[in-house]
Amino acid sequence: MPKQNVIFEPIYHEFKVMVFNLALHYLQNIEDAEEVTQDVFVKVYHSLAQFQQRSSYKTWIYRITINQCLDFTKKKNSRKRLYLFGQKSENEREYLNTTNFEHPGILMENQEAAAQLFSVINTLTENQKTAFLLSKLDGLSNPEIAEIMEMSISAVESLIFRAKASLQEKLSKKFNEYRKK
Amino acid sequence: MNSTNGISAVTPSDDLLARIQLKIKQQEKVAPTTVWWIAASIAVLLTLNVALLQKAKTRDNSTSSYLEHTLNQSNQLY
Repeated sequence: MPKQNVIFEPIYHEFKVMVFNLALHYLQNIEDAEEVTQDVFVKVYHSLAQFQQRSSYKTWIYRITINQCLDFTKKKNSRKRLYLFGQKSENEREYLNTTNFEHPGILMENQEAAAQLFSVINTLTENQKTAFLLSKLDGLSNPEIAEIMEMSISAVESLIFRAKASLQEKLSKKFNEYRKK
Repeated sequence: MNSTNGISAVTPSDDLLARIQLKIKQQEKVAPTTVWWIAASIAVLLTLNVALLQKAKTRDNSTSSYLEHTLNQSNQLY
């Protein structure tokens, strides 16, 4: 029996919640998060034989998940552009529905505010968003984030600082616009 | 900024593992030898195409030079 068949299931059970929740924070949609989780574990299965254990399984799987989420977002955005300029497809409505904010981990009373916050988080640069999500929502330490993102700790600190500053500025702008209405 | 406070971890649906295993099986169905066979056939087709195009090009060149030659002879002005 190949190595990956023996260790795949225990790995899945150990990391499924971590992968699914990170994908959920990234994409804010259950269906999309499940699709990315599927792709992540298929990739993990195929790469297990080549995994040289230079880092822990956790770090390795975190990296795969982040890359998969970024790829998914890029694909989705290019599909969105096609929908805007190209011919209208029948499943457009279905696609648009899946872009709705849907995060089952957030309390019902906070859903609306969280949707606003995530819409601003989505405007951050890729690195700022990743560092912010890993730090604030996954609760990872800066050295852990630095290892996952393959950066120095000071670079991670600066990313989180800039992400917070940008979020505060954009949120206050949004709040002021809302008050004017 | 505090709206994500108290965010709780969500467990993926129970059938996700089964779906992943199905996807892995489907991908494994295409054997690497099949992929190589397809790649080789595409390469052969491309080479044939290029060879045929080259042949057609040389034939074109020879016909036009023959035409030029005969035209020059019949339209001689002096």
